Amino acid sequence: MNEDLKKTLLNPIFKGNPITVLVLGICSSLAVTVQLKGALVMALSVIIVTGLSSLVVSLLRNSIPNRVRIIVQLVVVAMMVILVDQVLRAYAYSIDKQLSVYIGLIITNCIVMGRIEAFALGNKPIPSLLDGLANGAGYGMILVIVAFFRELLGSGTLLGFRVLPESYVPNNLVILPPMALIILGCIVWVQRSIQKDLQEK
Amino acid sequence: MNTNNNVYTIVYTTIVVVVAAAILAIAAMALKPKQDANIKAETISQMLTAAGFSDKDALAKLGNDQILAMYSGNIKTAFLIDKDGNKTGELETDVNDIELQDNLKVENKNIAAGNPSLPVYVFEKDGAEINVIPIYGAGLWGPIWGYIAFDANCSKIVGAYFDHESETPGLGAKIKDEAWFREEFVGKEVNFAKPDDSFDIIKGGAPKDDKSAVDAITGATMTCNGLDAALDTWFKAYMPFLQKKAGAAAADDDACCGGACGKECDGQCEHEHNHQEG
Amino acid sequence: MEYISLFVKSIFVDNMIFAYFLGMCSYLAVSKNVKTAAGLGVAVIFVLLVTLPINYLLNKYVLAPDALFKGVDLSFLSFIIFIAVIAAIVQIVEMVVEKFSPSLYSALGIFLPLIAVNCAILGGSLFMQQKDFANVGESAVYALGSGIGWFLAIVSLAAIREKMAYSKVPAALKGLGITFITVGLMAIAMMTFMGISI
Repeated sequence: MNEDLKKTLLNPIFKGNPITVLVLGICSSLAVTVQLKGALVMALSVIIVTGLSSLVVSLLRNSIPNRVRIIVQLVVVAMMVILVDQVLRAYAYSIDKQLSVYIGLIITNCIVMGRIEAFALGNKPIPSLLDGLANGAGYGMILVIVAFFRELLGSGTLLGFRVLPESYVPNNLVILPPMALIILGCIVWVQRSIQKDLQEK
Repeated sequence: MNTNNNVYTIVYTTIVVVVAAAILAIAAMALKPKQDANIKAETISQMLTAAGFSDKDALAKLGNDQILAMYSGNIKTAFLIDKDGNKTGELETDVNDIELQDNLKVENKNIAAGNPSLPVYVFEKDGAEINVIPIYGAGLWGPIWGYIAFDANCSKIVGAYFDHESETPGLGAKIKDEAWFREEFVGKEVNFAKPDDSFDIIKGGAPKDDKSAVDAITGATMTCNGLDAALDTWFKAYMPFLQKKAGAAAADDDACCGGACGKECDGQCEHEHNHQEG
Repeated sequence: MEYISLFVKSIFVDNMIFAYFLGMCSYLAVSKNVKTAAGLGVAVIFVLLVTLPINYLLNKYVLAPDALFKGVDLSFLSFIIFIAVIAAIVQIVEMVVEKFSPSLYSALGIFLPLIAVNCAILGGSLFMQQKDFANVGESAVYALGSGIGWFLAIVSLAAIREKMAYSKVPAALKGLGITFITVGLMAIAMMTFMGISI
């Protein structure tokens, strides 16, 4: 794999992570991380939507009239999200119920539109697809980390399987939404301690 | 081609929109049967759990077809009743054509408006009848609903199942997640003597001898209050029906005194009482 | 009374930022000073107030099952229709603001078009679909309350961040990290409103 493609794939995981560095896609990352399973499904959905939307927009990039650029992008993204939602409702109904409005909110997930504007509009289809998939993966990784802690400390389970002993009294504060923000703050803290050039002046 | 020219813009946008709508319509139509089956199986699973045939987790592992078959295999009859407890129609129970009255949100409004069409699902378990009715109401963050299973003459509750849309995990969500909360309802009764408040969920603990009250969940007061109100509303709507069924057992002084049995006073009660109107 | 209860609930209990985390991206980016935060907050209130009732009517009379014609369920088009309405309204708002208040227009800069993809606006419409209001008035009250809640959240965070610029925050926490933690603590504080019933 040539250097450029490798960079496209790896950058969004750490240095260019959409959530902790680019500060995109925060909304849903907080709400769906109560359980690991929900976070995984959401991550997968975002990966698929970002990848496919970037691919389609890149294929169309030379024909889109400039004035309706945003509208066309929105239509493409909305279409992908609706498809994902319909498939989930047919094949993973209970998870879809848990995720409720947050699947629909992928449309406004800044990561999707952000990558389309920043990359797909100016690059070839295959790199765009990879960029979309990689950014989705970077987002997914953060989601999984936050959900890991929230489910483990909040319910003593992981993916529904009891991990901590019965005597562990679940920390109910961790299950509540605000903790997701605090955990996210800690993740940013850790990342910036390791990668000092990301620190703000 | 000048991509900024007006005609091109309009034609392009139209084509994009039409293609997107077409793809979505095809996908939605293709997936609809599976989606509807999921919804139906979900509703039936909840009923079967309340009736005691299985539990939700075990049912979640079965396929939709097996759940539908379990319903058809155990159901005796299903019908609709009006506000006076009279049967107004039958619901199909054949496995290929199961009819459910599961638009509870609408029925909740109809109860308030005075013209409900309420379902009763009569199962048969080990030779005895089990009557299952739905309930629906507002929790803290969103709707809550569930199913209550009564014994053959609707005098005792034999099982319950509750669900919610967006109650707080670890707090209000416990009405669904904690088996002990559901099990509290077993053996309890609807209090016919107090039609507007026939069941209570009491914070701090229900008195041990109160047959129509259970303990609330700590930290989930608002959700439990909502559930209490839902039970009161729906039990009241079903009361004529429940009382008719319990009529066989209502020769009992307690039910009759206070006039709550709905029967003509036949002089069997020993105490003075006033019949309620209506 | 119903309206007042709904209004108060949507500002504090169902707060878009603290309870549902909607609109975070622009929230975090714009909350560095109080003036721009207030400007964005007002824009959000306005867009919510206009788009939510329109989407409510569309939902009730076009999208809901059996709404347009019996047997036709167009709810799968909800996302697209809602976002299209929002994008169109934002476009109109942009043109109006540019014409009548050029200074506000340049102060808001890129954030005005970004309101179109602000999760809070679309989220408001999606929650409206779930909550099933009785009439347009209720949806408008909910929109106003949600917008004001968002406004309060962003202005208070901006005020805190302005003051924090003078504190000795560890280098790795500075900026994004401490902001997340601050918002988390504010959200915990807002939870005290959960039991309110008016």
